[in-house]
Order: sequence, then C-alpha cells, then structure tokens
Amino acid sequence: MSNVLAILEQRDGTLRKVSHEIVTGARRLADALGGEVHALVCAAGPVSGVDAAGRHGADTVITATNAAFGQYAPEGYARTIAEHAKAGGYGAVVCAASAQGKDLSPRIAARLSVALAADITDVSVDGGAIVVTRPVYAGKALLKVKVVSKPAVLSLRPNVFTPVERPRPGIVEAVAATGDGGRVVVKGIKAAAAGALDVAEAPIVVSGGRGLKEPANFKLLEELAQAFGGRAAVGASRAVVDAGWRPHGDQVGQTGKTVSPSLYIAVGISGAIQHLAGMRTAKVIVAINKDKDAPIFKIADYGVVGDLFEIVPALTSEIRKLNG
Amino acid sequence: MIPSQHQPPLPLDQLILPTGAAGAGDSMELDVLFVGAGPAGLAGAIELARLAKADRGIGELNIGVLEKAEALGEHSLSGAVVNPVALRELFPDLPEKDLPLRGRVEREAVYVLTSGSALRIPIPPTMKNHGNYIGSICEIVRWLGQQAEALGVNVFTGFPAAALLTEGTRVAGVRTAATGLGRDGQQLPSYSAPNDLTAKVTALSEGTRGLLSQAWQQWQGVPSANPQIFALGVKEIWETKRPLDRVIHTMGWPLPRDAFGGSFCYPLAPNLVAIGIVVGLDYQNAALDIHVLMQRLKGHPLFRPYLEGGEMVEWGAKTIPEGGYYALPARRSGDGVVLLGDAAGFVDVPSLKGIHYAMQSGIYAARTIFAALKAGETTAAALAPYDRLVDQSYIARDLYRTRNMRLAFKDGFTAGGFKAGLMTLTGGRFPGGRIAMHADADAARREEADGVFTPDGKLTFSKVDGVFKSGNTTRDTIPTHLVTGRDIPADVARFYSHVCPAGVYEEVDGTLRINAPNCIDCKATDVLGPRWTPREGGSGPKYKRM
Amino acid sequence: MKIAVCIKRVADSETRVKIAADGKSLDEAGVKFILNPYDEFAVEEALRRKEQAGAGEVVVIACGSGASQETIRTALAMGADRGVLLETAALPADGLSIARALATELKDGGYDLILFGKMAIDDYNHQVGPMTAELLGLPCVTCVAHLDLAAGKGTAEREVEGGMEEVEFPLPAVLTVDKGLNEPRYPALKGIMAAKKKPLEVKPTTLGAPGLLVLAMIPPPERKAGRIVGEGAAAIPELLKLLREEAKVL
Repeated sequence: MSNVLAILEQRDGTLRKVSHEIVTGARRLADALGGEVHALVCAAGPVSGVDAAGRHGADTVITATNAAFGQYAPEGYARTIAEHAKAGGYGAVVCAASAQGKDLSPRIAARLSVALAADITDVSVDGGAIVVTRPVYAGKALLKVKVVSKPAVLSLRPNVFTPVERPRPGIVEAVAATGDGGRVVVKGIKAAAAGALDVAEAPIVVSGGRGLKEPANFKLLEELAQAFGGRAAVGASRAVVDAGWRPHGDQVGQTGKTVSPSLYIAVGISGAIQHLAGMRTAKVIVAINKDKDAPIFKIADYGVVGDLFEIVPALTSEIRKLNG
Repeated sequence: MIPSQHQPPLPLDQLILPTGAAGAGDSMELDVLFVGAGPAGLAGAIELARLAKADRGIGELNIGVLEKAEALGEHSLSGAVVNPVALRELFPDLPEKDLPLRGRVEREAVYVLTSGSALRIPIPPTMKNHGNYIGSICEIVRWLGQQAEALGVNVFTGFPAAALLTEGTRVAGVRTAATGLGRDGQQLPSYSAPNDLTAKVTALSEGTRGLLSQAWQQWQGVPSANPQIFALGVKEIWETKRPLDRVIHTMGWPLPRDAFGGSFCYPLAPNLVAIGIVVGLDYQNAALDIHVLMQRLKGHPLFRPYLEGGEMVEWGAKTIPEGGYYALPARRSGDGVVLLGDAAGFVDVPSLKGIHYAMQSGIYAARTIFAALKAGETTAAALAPYDRLVDQSYIARDLYRTRNMRLAFKDGFTAGGFKAGLMTLTGGRFPGGRIAMHADADAARREEADGVFTPDGKLTFSKVDGVFKSGNTTRDTIPTHLVTGRDIPADVARFYSHVCPAGVYEEVDGTLRINAPNCIDCKATDVLGPRWTPREGGSGPKYKRM
Repeated sequence: MKIAVCIKRVADSETRVKIAADGKSLDEAGVKFILNPYDEFAVEEALRRKEQAGAGEVVVIACGSGASQETIRTALAMGADRGVLLETAALPADGLSIARALATELKDGGYDLILFGKMAIDDYNHQVGPMTAELLGLPCVTCVAHLDLAAGKGTAEREVEGGMEEVEFPLPAVLTVDKGLNEPRYPALKGIMAAKKKPLEVKPTTLGAPGLLVLAMIPPPERKAGRIVGEGAAAIPELLKLLREEAKVL
C-alpha cells in the first residue's frame, strides 16, 4: 500500500481547474495502489476552492503556506514539495504538465533523485509497478513506460484526465512552509492582450479556405470566432494565404502552423493533405463544405454539407445565444 | 499550340555575371568547385581529392561541392537499376556488400500493357540488367557525400548556384542564391546575401536541365547536332503487404500511342517498392497529365495486387535528358569549366541508365582537372582532354550505339518500336545518319480531354498529396522563382497545369495561377514553359529513398 | 561571457514514424536527423549574447551516440567555438541520467549561462534543463521567450496559460528557451568551413541505471470515423447538441 501525493495549482489564491484533473489522476492511481490521495498546494494563504479536491478523490488537502508563495516560486515550491514527499514516503507524486507543472516536476524529481515520466496520457498499475503512456514524436507514436524509481513522479497532460467525482473526506489542513521562495522570482503575469489570440494557441480555431470566395467574406468567420467570447482565433488554408487574402501568420498546415485546439471548425476548406497535417491533432474537428466528397469530411468528427454563407451566420447566432 | 511561343528566354543577363559584380556578401576562393552534389559531382570530387592526396607535389587542394538541397540526396531522384562499373572504378577495393546499393537484380520481366492485361515479352537486349543492382540514388548520394567529406572535400548543402561568375569567356566560379527574402523580394531579418565562390575550375554537375549549364552553352554558343529533349518521370515508393521479387518494366498503356515512355517497378526491399512512369515531353495531347498516368498505372492488374493495402510513403518527380548522342553539346569543356553527368546529357534511354555515366564523367573530369592544375593552366585547351576521355570511353560508345533509338519514337510508339528493333539488330547502324529532332517546346500540341481523375486517397493521390509526400516544406513567403511568359492564354495555362506534376500551375478563370512553394525542382515546365530559377537553399523536396 | 549550450540530435519533425522491429523504438531507416529546433534558438541566443559582450566562448555539449558529432558541427557552423560529445550508446527514456552526465561536465566549467532548448521534439521530455540546474544548484528559468541580461542578473518572460510570466533571476543560471526568443541564423559558407577545424572533444560516457523502462512503442489510436451531421443550416441544432453532449467541447 502506498499513498499518492497530488500537487495542485493555484493562481491568485484560487485553485486552478487543472487541479481537478490532477486529483482525478491521482485517485485512479491510489485506488490501484490501494492508498490515499494527499493533495498539496503551495500558496501565500488560504486557497479558495481547495475543498473541491475532496469531491474528486483527495483524502486530505494540505495548503503549504509561505509569504513568498503568492506567485509561483519555483525553488521554494520544489523544496517544500520534495521535503513533503520524502517525509510522507509516497509511492507517487502527481503534477500537471501545465506551464507551472512542466517547470516544477523536473525540479521535484531531481531533488528526489528519481525519474520523471512527463506529459502522460494514461496510468495504470501492473503487478505493483506503475506503467504510464506518453506521446512522443508529436503524437505520432505512444510509449508505454514502466516507472522503476520510487516515488514515481508523473506529470499529467492537461485536458486528458477528465475530472470524475469520487468523494472522499478531503480533510483540509494548512501547514507553514519554512524557508524562502528561492532565487528565481516571479514578478507577475502579463495577461495576453484581448483579441491577440494566436491560431497556434487558441482553444478554438475557425479556419477558412477558398470556399469563402473572396477576402471580405472572412468577416463571417471573424464573427463566429467572436461569438466564442475571446477563446477563438481565425485561421486560413494555404490557398487563401497564397492568394493574399489572409496574413501568413494565420496559415494552418504543413508549411504554416500546427494547431491542436479542442475545437477546429474548417469552413470552405477542401482538406488538402498539407492542411490536414496542420490540424489533425485537434481534439474535435467540424467541417462545413458544399462538396460532400471533400477530403476534409474524412478527418472531421462532424460534417455539415451545404452553403457556408447560410450555415456560418446561423451557427454564429446559435453560439452567441449559448454564450449569452 | 506550340509551347515555345509562350516560353520566356533564358535570363542570361542574370545568369552570366562578371566576377566581382555587386550584390554578394561573403566570397570564398577554392581550387575546384563542383556545382551539384549528385553522383557526377561527388564522384569527381572524390577522385580529385584522392589524386591530390596521392601526389605530394601539388599540395592540398581546396575542393568544394555546392548543393541546393538542404541535405545530401534530398533533390536526387532516379529509378534506379544501377550499373556498378563506375562505383567499382572509384572504390576498387570495397567488397560488394559495402557498396551503397540495395541488391543485385536477380529476376526481371518486361510487359506490354493494355488497360486490362499484361503481355510478357522477351527482354530487349538493351534492357537486360544482369549484373546490375537496384539502388536508391538518395542513398548512393548520401554515401558518396560521406566518402567525399572523409577525404576533406567541403560539401555545402543548402546553397543553390544562381549565376556563373565570368572573366571574359572564362568561367571563374558561381554566385549562390540569397536566403531570407520576403514575397516581394524584401530582405527579412533572416536575410543572408548571395555568396561568391571562385575556383580555378568550375565543374557543372547540376543534373537534368541544369540552369547554369544551359546558360553556359547559350552564352558560349556551344552547339549540339539535335536539341536536348527530355522526359518526365513521376515516382512513388510504397511499403507493400505483398513482396515483389523482380524488376518490372512495361510499355504501352496507360500512355497514348503518340507518347514515348514506359513504367518501372523495382523492389528496394521485398516489401518496399519503387514504382514510376516516364513519358517523353514531346507528347501531343496538351491535356495529358503524367501524374494522372502514374495514378492510373497503379490500378493495373499487374501492380494493384502489390500496392493494395500498402502505404505510399514517398512521392517525387524529375526530368531526364533523353536526347542521347546527338544532343550532347559539341564540347563539354571550356575555359575554366566542364559539364558532367545529366547536365551534359550522358543518359542512355534504351538501357534506362545514367548514374554510372554521370559518375564516370566525374572521374574523367577529375583526372583532367588534376592534370591541368598540375600544369598550372585551366584554359579551354587544358580542359579539352576531358572531352576526349569521354569520347573514347564506354559513355560515348554506348550512347553512339543507341544514337537514333529514342529519336525513332518521335512519330509514335508502334513505328518507333519497329525501328528500334532494327537498330538493336544492326548495332545502331540502321537507319544510318541522324534522325533530326526538334526541341520539346517546339512540338505542336492539341488539347483533347483525357477523362476525369478523382483520387481515392488510398491507391491514388492528388498532386498536393504527392507534394506533401515529397517532404516539400518550402517557406511559403519566398518570392516566386518561376518566370512565365506574358499574357498566358487559358489553354496554355491548362497545359502547364497538366505538365507540372506538383500542382504549381492552375488555370483559374482563364488566367494562370502559380503556387510556387509546391515546386519540387523537376524542371518539366522549364523545358516546356515557365523558366525555373533557384530559390532559397533547402527549398523543394526532401527525398529520402528515391 | 562563457556560455554552454546543451543540444540534442533528434529525428526531423517531418519524420514518418515507423516502429522498429524491437517494438520499442523508432525505425531509423530513411530518417533524417537534425539539431533539435528548440536547441537552435539556444545556440542563436548564446551567439548573440557573446557577440554583444564582445568576448567569451560558446561551448556546445551533446549527450548521445557518435552520430551527434554531426549535430555539434551544425552548431559550430552557426558560430559556436567548440564542442563536447558525451558519447553513449543509446539515450534512456528518462532525463535524470542525462542531466547527471551533463551536470558532471558542466560543474567546473565556469559558465555564466547554461542554455537548453525547452524540450526535444522527439521525446517531449521537457526536463533535462531544470534537472541539470537542480543538480548544479543553479537558478533556472524554463521556456524563456524573452530575455534581458544585466550585470549579475536577468529578467525573462515565459508563456503560461493566459499570459506571460515575468521572472527575475541571478546569474549564473540555467535557462531553457522557447520559440520566439530569436530567429536562428543559417550557417554561412565560411562558418561551415571553419566548423571542420573547431575542436570537438569526444568523451566516452556511461549513464546510470534508468528510472524509466520502455515497454513498448505503439501507434496512436486511429481517429474514429466522423459523420455527416446533416445538410445546411437545419443541421446546426444537432451539431451543437453533439458538440455539447458527445464531444463536450462547448
């Protein structure tokens, strides 16, 4: 029997959503190992939302407080977590492969002198050994890896471990973390400018191709993107970028940007293989095209056949309603 | 429609520059420069480096090889069944297993195809491959490049040669293409100016339809009995479920009767198959599309069972100089310059071979250059022995024996086949004299619809699918490198769209649209229409096992 | 400024992945190997910092098979001064043993700055840089997309969800760099010539026992076949329902 330490994330004193995924993953692992999940969050004071960790399967939730922990403090966090992990004799330490987790997890592993299985998409226990799955070569292959060092330090790929409610006591306690924040000091986070969302980073991408007939019609896609409330960017196929309709920075495809948003809406794009190469890793693909034989429908999860000039405005108004 | 009427002239003013002309960044001085890291240039560089090492008197030679591909072999494409004679001459002590070849040809067959059947015929004597090897020119070139570098040769990949640097009638080196230009020719932050490389001898080993080789011949007025003519080959590599155990060549379908060419299918490994089609560019139907013929070919009962369920892993295309003996430039040497391999036209169409001629010509050039350097003079007279070495060798002998064979097919396949048979029987003496040819671009075309082709994405593919599989990741914002004639009419635009296997040209609402980044440097439209010029180094395909 | 850049030889991102006969690794037949693109940013940054300082040395260090010498030469052709290869048979799946070998090499080097790419495009491990920093006891900032250096300290920006994190750190430090930090230069002809003559030391290296064991390399699951929801605007209600309830992306 061994317990699992789940490293939660907060920003500005509020628990980040990815924490639920971490607890969910940790719970799954702890059940297989027959242990408890202890969640740990580093913060300057009380963290709002920590009680939710119990709902997703944490037996206890510990807030390690330190005046220097308001912002992410890489060295202070790593030291606190590593000491806690050592003292608790955990079988595994689970982080997120988020921006913070990717920075923090290797530091924890190094301090514990163990390996890090990074960016994993699955975890199981086989004959007492922890076995993880992780994508390599940009997702073109998966590695199944046995973690032989102990504790197993894992970082979970975000958006993969869908939070599941597995209520546990979730006893909340706070401990004071000693020491300072370390030499590397985070001064703050500059918020990304509104509307400056890059196609490569946007969680939703609405892309247009030659089916839009002329540059002015991209207005339809911009309106659809706006309807998603600042979460969407407008992309373009190579054909329309080559034709000068859209800037090169918007191009999605083999020689443009590779995107993997959670939703990709291809409008009037036939689906040349060069375009598919740039967006095939999107989580969900919707295609709107008048040609039902267009190759884009072969890769799309959901296709709508018909006139985009009728479909897109109707979709935009529905999305607007949805987002109130 | 006659293609040459719409073809712009070769831009000689940009291709022939006086040494020291403005516009260059760095410059570098070499003893000998090979332009093009193919079998010809690399064999030449290897032989030259060895001669210099063996002869203490001359000291160390500074030998450079320029290559436009990002890495060695990435712009090289061939069948290929290779005659190992030149490899053996260059590496006499190397055991057979260490040669950069796939395997000996053990079984071979030739078929005449109709759309539904394959009639096996006796192998024409010129096509017998006993003692030859299946190979990948990419692999051969990579290997030769390693040998050259081990001998101290400087191989510069990612640097296309853009112009000849000249002093009077002498070739003094080349200028490379600039990198980091924007769509309108403006300099981007990554801009890097052209480099001037000067050398005592510049060996043009550019390969088929070499730009600087053409420019030199035109500039110096070097004639040939016939104009050079070309074929276009489109080739795919497949991983197959079913192994192939023999070399296959076919004639007939899917080519129309007025076109010269055929197909090939070679096992690189039992389950790794190269399949391709080659068509002379003097065909008459302007709507003929060689990429489409390639796609149709795969559906033939002879090939389909091998390919079905497999995966197309690479695609590429390239032209082949087919003019043979009578299309060779009267001299392949001049003041400070020699022409090697495909750039000179050393290809024997009836045996479908060129690689060993290319390498052999490189070896002969190296010997001549070495002697010239030793004598301290690299004038036209000092380099002329190279022509004599080629003319007295099996290169000229082989090409002379089959001198009229490809030419016989200019009036169609049936008559051509008959004449070619007589030529073989008479050792090339029939019909006597020379069959006169005109340049491919001068052959009149008629437009005759050739059916609709819809790729299925499994066995057959579109042109952009092909470009994707060629590994082409050319930056989209480079300036267009293709020079078209003025006011191209719709029928000519359509013709270009069919000629180009990479979907570079499209006829859109009666006008010509150019998708320049698709270009894979096959040079087909350079033969028949828009001129190819070099672009940023590393652009174009990235062939791996072609 | 004395700067070390730790680099890796990786399969080109265009590589078509075929699993080798051992079922655990990449079939390298026909695969092109390149300098990891994120490491190119690191090399470029090192060269710029040295150029700005007007003096110094840029040392590139790789851990890997003998073939990595070629990769080191690429960095030397860009302008780095010398190279070190920690030669090992094959690289393990975990980064710690590599970080240990690098830390041993770097420890007494007297470097002002140690740069890494933020990750290698083959294994996506994202860890060797910060692990090396921990082993050396040096401050570390990862995924640096903007960098200002002054005497003895620096400020960096790194991308996080929803914005850019601003970070201050003292020197010497270990930084891992992200795309956007700079535009790497093309090796010049003269650089390629010069690279051949620059020192490249090969040190046979034995890595410690790995903490991760690869059981298998498998192809990713195939995308499940999509479907046509309907025709025209009439299909929108159904589409939204599917996006909400089945795909759960709205």
